[in-house]
Amino acid sequence: MNYSMVKRLILKDWYLQRWPILFSLLGGALALAIVAKGGQAGFTLGIILLVTVLVTIGAMLAMNLTVLERKEQTLAFVMSLPVSYREYTAAKILGVLLIFLVPWLAFMAGSIALIWFAPEIRGLIPFIVIMGTEILANTCMIAAVGLISESQGWTITVLMIGNLALNAIGYAVAHIPSIGNGMFRPHLHWSPTATGLLATEVAIICLILAGTFFFQSRKNDFL
Amino acid sequence: MNDPAVSFQGVAKRYPHFNLDNINLDLPIGSIMGFIGANGAGKSTTIRILMGLVHQDRGSVRVLGHAMPEQQVAAKQDIGFVSEDMRLYGAATLGWHIEFLRQIFPRWDQPYAETLLRRFELKSEQKIKGLSHGQRVKAALLLALARRPRLLVLDEPTTGLDPVARHEVLGELMAVLADEERTILFSSHNTLDVEQISDQITFIDRGRIIDSNDKEMFLDRWRRLRLQLPPNAALPQLPGIVDIGGSGRLPVLTTNRFDPAMVSACNDMGATVQAVDTMTLEEIFVANVHSRRTQTAYEMERQEVTV
Repeated sequence: MNYSMVKRLILKDWYLQRWPILFSLLGGALALAIVAKGGQAGFTLGIILLVTVLVTIGAMLAMNLTVLERKEQTLAFVMSLPVSYREYTAAKILGVLLIFLVPWLAFMAGSIALIWFAPEIRGLIPFIVIMGTEILANTCMIAAVGLISESQGWTITVLMIGNLALNAIGYAVAHIPSIGNGMFRPHLHWSPTATGLLATEVAIICLILAGTFFFQSRKNDFL
Repeated sequence: MNDPAVSFQGVAKRYPHFNLDNINLDLPIGSIMGFIGANGAGKSTTIRILMGLVHQDRGSVRVLGHAMPEQQVAAKQDIGFVSEDMRLYGAATLGWHIEFLRQIFPRWDQPYAETLLRRFELKSEQKIKGLSHGQRVKAALLLALARRPRLLVLDEPTTGLDPVARHEVLGELMAVLADEERTILFSSHNTLDVEQISDQITFIDRGRIIDSNDKEMFLDRWRRLRLQLPPNAALPQLPGIVDIGGSGRLPVLTTNRFDPAMVSACNDMGATVQAVDTMTLEEIFVANVHSRRTQTAYEMERQEVTV
């Protein structure tokens, strides 16, 4: 594996996606400012905006870096470079993950910090971490389907299912007693269930990444 | 003797509605091969196999001494590739593309890139999405040429260009041909473009190579003979007749093995040769395709009858 080439391809994608990333960071900062302003309405509005921005930038990155490269016919340009398809796959998967981690980490850190300094709702932190990781898994799934299926239709379908699942999972997690009961309490209680859920999500992300490499390595035609 | 720059041996690729069948092709170092075929003949599939972007089902492909697709990374260090369906990043400038490639290709020739920028009247600060189609092709060509590749693969690069842009692109290609070490594979369905720059010609039709030879050999050997036959005379039996047109006592024979001695042979057999017409590459291509398709249909008919 030519890591230098993989790095160059990731930096190329970072450069090409710099404006969406910047706008998402600005949107996230605005959302966190609304949350920080206080009040239940501000908190609800800010969190909804934050989740919307995070889900949108994740979906946009996953689509732009995979399906759109094929649709806009820039894939032939990339594949004319001294790069193997394995390196291309690595660059795409790692690229989506690393580039998305920039707003993701910023938003997660911002939300956790805000909640930490609003002691009456510190109990929300496990829920925030679990749902944030779910959004990360969602983004990885969209990128994987985009790379493997090479189809905009399938990728959008997975994107929609992922977003619906996010709401369902959020509802389900909030109704798990060991997580939901402590959400709006001042004490942070990290239950074994929360750890189990987080570990499952991380395992799913690893499986998605490994599966993408597996399916991509079995392909014979790349253009 | 040097190995060829490109060598296809018994290459096959099957798709549900198209087969590339038993492709054997050698492209000697320093030669410029025009790869001619109608739309859907298999040119782009062959080129994608050459680039390692599509894996052949059968047969071996070697490019600049590298086995494809396994060693495509090493091979692509020395290949410049421009394809009709290849796009650059619209949101980025040409200068960004130049800088991106300069970091990847150790032999990147920046002074040459700047010369090409001036010659093509391109500006490095221009965004790709603001360029016309002709300018985009020139930009892609610049990015391929400034790598100083040993092999230049051009898949229908002039398709969709206006006559002026086509002339400029072909002019630049002819200029780079001065470098005898550079090998070029130029695919097109436009025989005029290919005729201008190629020294070797390969025809492909329905996934099969139907003919491959020096351009001059094609132009020298293909002729149309316009005959006048005396009443009740049979057509003279001549070598390499691929098509018989005209009518009755005024047949027109197309041959791919013309020899000036044919004229006297016809005269000896009582026929008068009214004219011997040279053929353009397009006429040769069309006659060749027509002849092979007729032959294939005839062979299939015979097989069906035998069965």
